[in-house]
Amino acid sequence: MSNDINQTITRIAEIIINELKLEDVTAETFDADLDLVNEVGIDSMDMATVALFLRDEYEIQIDEDDYPKLTTVRIIAQYIDNKRNSNE
Amino acid sequence: MAAQQKYKFSDIIADPIINERWEKVRRYFFLRESTYDMSNRCNIRCDGCYYFVGEKQFAEENNSESDWRQLFLSEKERGITFVVLAGAEPSLVPQLCAACYEVIPLGAIATNGLKPIPKEIDYRIHISVWGNDQTSQAIRKAPNMLTRQMANYQGDARAVFVYTFTPFNIDEAREVTEILAAHGHKITFNMFSAPVGYDGSLRHTPQSLAKTRMMMRELLADYPQTVLFSPYNIVAHTNEKGLHDLFSCTYPRMNPSTDIGLGRSFRQYRTDLQWNRDAACCVPDTDCSDCRHYAAGSAVVTARMYRHATDPVTFSAWLDYADTYLAVWVRGYEKGQNLCPAFVNPPPND
Repeated sequence: MSNDINQTITRIAEIIINELKLEDVTAETFDADLDLVNEVGIDSMDMATVALFLRDEYEIQIDEDDYPKLTTVRIIAQYIDNKRNSNE
Repeated sequence: MAAQQKYKFSDIIADPIINERWEKVRRYFFLRESTYDMSNRCNIRCDGCYYFVGEKQFAEENNSESDWRQLFLSEKERGITFVVLAGAEPSLVPQLCAACYEVIPLGAIATNGLKPIPKEIDYRIHISVWGNDQTSQAIRKAPNMLTRQMANYQGDARAVFVYTFTPFNIDEAREVTEILAAHGHKITFNMFSAPVGYDGSLRHTPQSLAKTRMMMRELLADYPQTVLFSPYNIVAHTNEKGLHDLFSCTYPRMNPSTDIGLGRSFRQYRTDLQWNRDAACCVPDTDCSDCRHYAAGSAVVTARMYRHATDPVTFSAWLDYADTYLAVWVRGYEKGQNLCPAFVNPPPND
């Protein structure tokens, strides 16, 4: 389970870095506990973009009302994990 | 009935035409807006004006350029990248608008167009039109409005005329659009949205909404170089449901979240440089259940990108809306050809 979460964290970081064109950071060095809004500077349209690529990747729906809760990569990974488990 | 095809987002944007528009639009996702009432005075008094409703009209005017500059510096520091200067009439305080422009270079000014705003303030200028000159005389008590507005902004690429549809000026929109087209101006459409407690006759009815929809459709088809609008704009703004019911408004007044998006960053400053989260939206004191305002839609519909990314047609409709919003509000952004000619139903608001 822990290994799965770590893989998910790395993949989410890759998507954020690629889609938001973040520089000076890699998926491996991305701090999964950074606050995406306050420390990375992403906003709602960025979050919607990331959510669409996560929808593609993990075949889950991300409620628009849930964006405010998705404050770090680790929390997003846990959210995806919960969604996938509830879909099984 | 065939099962509805499920599209991946990456498949939708793999279409080269959609992809080009998506990349064009997403470059502006950095915009973070707030709005500012610049003066509590106006040189005309229109029936149904949102400014002279509620408490904000009684806020004292602060005319100190230094105080306003300080406010805009702090707004920039807060992450605001786009300003909307409105109420009551910003052209009466050009020095304050200039102070803003020096600090935050992207924005728009809502004006009645009777007093020209200096060219150095290179924001989009939204000039309000409420019908032909006879109707304007009746509702706004000002003669020859369109003639004077056009003269003040002839050949001015900042200008967009904003035609507000009421139940009584629908047919006149053709005459006004024709005149504006002949003079090389641009027009976009707004819907009268009743202020809280409004009991006048300008509130739209199902019949006036349907008639407005038909007129907008005809004008968009007949004047594609003049009208900045899209079929999806028409759908969103002439629906019997208002924008909040269709899309869940994201402005603080209706959105308790302060974590991300407009709920976090949007403020609506009054003339005394104060703001109140409970009242903060783009057109304060509008009755939310009747809100079809163009400024509201620009934020509320655009923010709902995720739910529109279900299939190429629905996403194209959303792209048309976002493309229209940027062309209307951002200087230098050129509207592309609409991608979706069909009237697409808004995705469910759940």
